[in-house]
Amino acid sequence: MGLFENSEKFEEVLGGFFRQLAETPQIADKLLKSNLIIRFNYTDPDLVIVVDCSGDKIDVRPHDTETKATVEMSMTADIAHKFWFGKVNLTKALTRKEMVAKGPIPKILKLLPAIKPSYAMYPKYLEENGYSQYNIH
Amino acid sequence: MLPDFFEFYSPTKVVYEDGVASDLKPELDIIGIQKYFVISDHIINDLGLIQKVADGLEDAGCEVVGKYLDVAQDARLNDVQTCAEAVKSSGAEGIISIGGGSVIDTAKAVNILFSVGGDLVEDYSGAHTLTRPLSPHVVIPTTAGTGSEVTFVAVIYDEENKEKLAFPDKYLMPNLAVLDPEMTVSLPPKMTAATGMDALTHAIEAYVGIQAAPFSDAFALGAIELIMKNLVTATENGEDIEARGAMLIAATMAGIAFTHSMCGCVHGMAHATGGLYRVPHGVANAIFLPFGMEYNFEEITEKLARLAPVMGEDVSGGSEEEAAGKAIEAVRKLTANLNKLGALPLKLSEVGVPEDGLADIAEGALNDGTSFYNPREVDPDELLPFIQRAY
Repeated sequence: MGLFENSEKFEEVLGGFFRQLAETPQIADKLLKSNLIIRFNYTDPDLVIVVDCSGDKIDVRPHDTETKATVEMSMTADIAHKFWFGKVNLTKALTRKEMVAKGPIPKILKLLPAIKPSYAMYPKYLEENGYSQYNIH
Repeated sequence: MLPDFFEFYSPTKVVYEDGVASDLKPELDIIGIQKYFVISDHIINDLGLIQKVADGLEDAGCEVVGKYLDVAQDARLNDVQTCAEAVKSSGAEGIISIGGGSVIDTAKAVNILFSVGGDLVEDYSGAHTLTRPLSPHVVIPTTAGTGSEVTFVAVIYDEENKEKLAFPDKYLMPNLAVLDPEMTVSLPPKMTAATGMDALTHAIEAYVGIQAAPFSDAFALGAIELIMKNLVTATENGEDIEARGAMLIAATMAGIAFTHSMCGCVHGMAHATGGLYRVPHGVANAIFLPFGMEYNFEEITEKLARLAPVMGEDVSGGSEEEAAGKAIEAVRKLTANLNKLGALPLKLSEVGVPEDGLADIAEGALNDGTSFYNPREVDPDELLPFIQRAY
């Protein structure tokens, strides 16, 4: 069993973080430039979240399985959690299929420098929002 | 310092010999199929290189059941679809690609559609989306630069959306890379210099990049040494089989290096310059390489210092910084020598890049996928002065 006890909890934690990123201009402005619609497919526990950067502001939509995404990223919830700490070697994750990416890879790689500041935000977000038990020390 | 993790996977068999492209029986016997489809271009065909390979195939008990020669300068999506249909209807069991990077990348993508069907963009965009090995693919490079004969990526240009699509997948690594220097002797000096500088850039960026590991380092260093010793000779005298052979081997070794540790901001700037102003990839890499090394200097001083003697520089008695500076100097001496031969421009102003377009190149480098692997964060404002100096 993974770190998160159920889908509801994982949605609360990660969905909340995505919404915080969407309201952080330093990151959101660059994501909006990409115009991408990204669907994250998580397992253990199962959750789907769409991050839609195609409009004027970023829209975070849990459970959206209908919208046609530009990019689909599939991984376990634990890998996703580690990713937002900046602790996932992306090349390793992709070649060992810990993450499966479908869609234009260069566009995904382009986003990585933009989201770099979020790695420092995630542990702080967990601490400040009552999720300190998930922090990796 | 050792990396936390690395993976080394290079399943492509490599054979090298002058004339081996028409003497492949032992290798083809192991692959075990008889019907091959040739993917190439009209120039290669007109030079008689395809016939040479076809004659060798016949001697080996194999046959060419079809040819596709319309591969454009950039590997194009439309070519892939048309060619895949031709391969399917030919009764072929495998593919032989004879050419440079565009031909090889087209053949890799064609092999996906030929072997497993589907729509290239809809079904296979992403990373490592294939679930089983493809049909046999034999590659005979006619340039010494791209390294595509041993890499896991096919880069295909989508004309409709005006973008380059990358398909990275371990199953795209060819079965056999045939390094025959005779196949490259007709390459003109400008192409020899530009493709050779592309290979040098692959090797140097692989060596200093954030994904570098001991295995990729070994291939990168081997490639760099061979290129430094042979590129000028191969450019000056295309008939020099030893120099041609050394460059072929070096390009392949550089390909193995960068398919594991990736490229950095030099490629980022070159991709942007190619996209915006149609500057050939190898030429843009050659122009940007010393400036990219300078941009990264503080992060890679130790590695550059280790590189300098491999590049033929005497570093005895100097500091680490001085030795590192000599590695950059070695690149400048090489490009100056190629420039003296009339084979390579040294400045962006010589290749049609407008001065007011330099900021766009800096922005493009940031937006390129390679920026993720660069040892120093790619910041357009900080990169721009280096691009201005390259102008």
